[in-house]
Amino acid sequence: MSYDTFSTCHPLLNFCFFVLVIFFTMCFIHPVCLLISLTASFSYSVYLNGRKSLRFNLMIALPMMILAALMNPVFNHAGATILTYLPGGNPLTLEAIIYGFATAIMFVSVIFWFSCYNRIMTSDKFIYLFGRIIPSVSLVFSMVLRFVPKFKNQASVISNGQKCIGRDVTNGDRKQRLHSGFRIISILTTWALENGIETADSMRSRGYGLKGRTSFSIFHFDTRDKILACIMGVMVILAFVPIAAGAVHIVYYPMVVMNETTPFAVFNYISFGLLCYMPLLLDLMEDVRWRVLKSKI
Amino acid sequence: MACFEIKDLNFSYPLRGKKALDHVDLVVEQGEFVVLCGKSGCGKSTLMRHLKPVLTPHGERDGEIYFHGVNLKDVSFRDQTSQIGYVLQNPDNQIVTDKVWHELSFGLESLGVDNETIRLRVAEMASYFGIQTWFRREVSGLSGGQKQLLNLASIMAMQPLVLLLDEPTSQLDPIAASDFLETIRKINREVGTTVIITEHRLEDVFPYADRVVVMDKGRIIANDTPRVVGRALKDENNEMFYALPSPMRIFSGVENDLECPLTVREGRAWISRLLDGADIRERRIYDEKVFDTSDPVVEMKEVWFRYEKESADIVKGLSVKIPKNKIFCIVGGNGTGKSTTMKLLTGILRPYRGKIKIGGKDIRKFKKNELFEHNLAMLPQNPQALFVKKTVREDLLEMLSGFDLSKEEKAAKVADVAKLVNIEDLLEQHPYDISGGEQQRAALAKVLLVEPKILLLDEPTKGLDNYFKFRLASILKELNKKGVSVIMVSHDIEFCASYGDSCSMFFDGDIVITETPNKFFSGNSFYTTSANRLSRHVFLNAVNNEDVIALCKRNLATK
Repeated sequence: MSYDTFSTCHPLLNFCFFVLVIFFTMCFIHPVCLLISLTASFSYSVYLNGRKSLRFNLMIALPMMILAALMNPVFNHAGATILTYLPGGNPLTLEAIIYGFATAIMFVSVIFWFSCYNRIMTSDKFIYLFGRIIPSVSLVFSMVLRFVPKFKNQASVISNGQKCIGRDVTNGDRKQRLHSGFRIISILTTWALENGIETADSMRSRGYGLKGRTSFSIFHFDTRDKILACIMGVMVILAFVPIAAGAVHIVYYPMVVMNETTPFAVFNYISFGLLCYMPLLLDLMEDVRWRVLKSKI
Repeated sequence: MACFEIKDLNFSYPLRGKKALDHVDLVVEQGEFVVLCGKSGCGKSTLMRHLKPVLTPHGERDGEIYFHGVNLKDVSFRDQTSQIGYVLQNPDNQIVTDKVWHELSFGLESLGVDNETIRLRVAEMASYFGIQTWFRREVSGLSGGQKQLLNLASIMAMQPLVLLLDEPTSQLDPIAASDFLETIRKINREVGTTVIITEHRLEDVFPYADRVVVMDKGRIIANDTPRVVGRALKDENNEMFYALPSPMRIFSGVENDLECPLTVREGRAWISRLLDGADIRERRIYDEKVFDTSDPVVEMKEVWFRYEKESADIVKGLSVKIPKNKIFCIVGGNGTGKSTTMKLLTGILRPYRGKIKIGGKDIRKFKKNELFEHNLAMLPQNPQALFVKKTVREDLLEMLSGFDLSKEEKAAKVADVAKLVNIEDLLEQHPYDISGGEQQRAALAKVLLVEPKILLLDEPTKGLDNYFKFRLASILKELNKKGVSVIMVSHDIEFCASYGDSCSMFFDGDIVITETPNKFFSGNSFYTTSANRLSRHVFLNAVNNEDVIALCKRNLATK
């Protein structure tokens, strides 16, 4: 869990970033874009979550990717370049293999992006963004997040309490255990309803239900956010224009036809790359800045 | 203009004949600090709730309440929200949202205050209450004291004119409780907010009060300065007298015409003046209790425990022998490992090194439920964790469902235990409808039905008033006679000093010392009873109020 600069940016930027990169990755299954997206998401998730995520990425996500890549040619027989025939008599085509790999990479990149999303878009940021649209929903969301740990905690208190008078859930035959389990749920429900009254009192005594409720947040949209938003906007346009102009395209079936590496296409690759690597670049810049600050002392 | 003016207020709950409030007349001036006290069920909470219309219970009511000259009925929801702040008893249940900053702004959001103003007010509150260091935290990770402080701050953010607090410290440990009350006093002094507070631990709050109002059976029976009220309660021989601070009770126990002390400092001056000129021959009280561990019922030998391999040790090389048929008290600060030790004794947690013997048998050798069958039982801190049924009686009967007994035998057992803990009148009520002290006794009855030989209690006096504490103590003594050994963990020094057979100081994962209460507390100078702190410059080992009174009397006789 290392310090991350991007997560200190405004929630709107965080959210837009993820929407954009995931959208690009999913919609344009272009090999260069995919590789950029894969490497960026892989390194960012490792940067954010450390060793644990490295283990997950290598042990689970990569085998999954290879499996997904191998599955496609087994079921998909489109494509013009026939390599050999499968035991069932169906052709195994080069195009299907390539397409399989491309979709697998797309799939895994999106998973990696989501693992980053979970770290960056914490509940309060999400509430902030969507609470503005529907204020009551944001409150309910926040209350649920408050209630879940409270409920869990009370469940363990009750279970221990029952254990200490010899009513353990882990004891006895299946019927007894089921019975003990139900008992705990029953106590928990009564407890929740009873204590909920006090929560309701507390809400009413602080004016819940008055007209014109506002939604407070601790986030600012500062100059850095504005600059970043502009940069992101420019990147998106620069990445999109070549695609719209047809300079970047790919067709997998019946033959793999990709655009040539024209300067215009390279333009797209660089902009998209910058977009994907933006959080990491920010972190890098921050590191350098601190290094410099320290060396000056 | 008075802050609140209550004129002849009567109130009764539906379907209950008795009046909850009976001809209540009360005036609270602006900026006053008023303490409202009385036994549980005397109507003090009902009165408090009448002062905040949204929380007023339904029922039959007549009489008027004026708030700053306006009839409270005509005060709008918006005005009462911002002007009348109300803090409830349970710190946990009042918190609505998941983040500290969000909770702080909750009231202001309801009032529709704009973002900039909320930011300022929240900043102001966080700084005033010292919340800034945990401002961005999740509320679930806060301690009880922090939670209650957060509740207070979130109400103060609306800048109320009056602050109503209904037993705000009953769920807190003594240190957090006095910190909280200190904050209330600070608000009263520095901001001028009117404070009306109900409390059962009067020790801390009495010296702050401008006025004390005592209620009994829905009536106001005393309404004056603390000193005058103390004297009145003594003269009437009222039960509430036992809830007064120690200095006042000691003062009342000795014939004298000096001024009544409220604090330990005043008490020390008082006792010096009282015994001025007397030849103090008797400085020592006879301590009849002996701490004997020759026949231990529980034995722990160099027990070590931590939750995870990487985490820090919580119990560190604890060795202790707990004597049979006694009340064994463990005192000590928060987070020193007391509750963890209790969990070790129940087998919920297992030590990674060391031995625990229950009744001479290694705890690991007990089969699954054997440990709890007629052997060991624990009463959890929150009795609500035990109740399952609709009435107390059904709940107690449920406890016997596993035993091979006839209906009559079961009923007889329930009747016996109900008599022992004094809940015969409550058997037909819902466990959640009875008061905290009653709930605790009902839970105790439930635990006792398993007929344990060892009874573990976790903070049994939390939230109880002195009257209930006294009842609990006599029940525990009764159990001792029946062959039940009691082990309790508590913050309540006065309770342990008066009723314990021995006290142990828990610190840093280990018991530092175990002694009889008298030797234990007379040896400490900070962590001790107020009676001891008050008298230690004159007497050598007076620990309870009764000790001080007895010694004063004996020495005065020779004056």
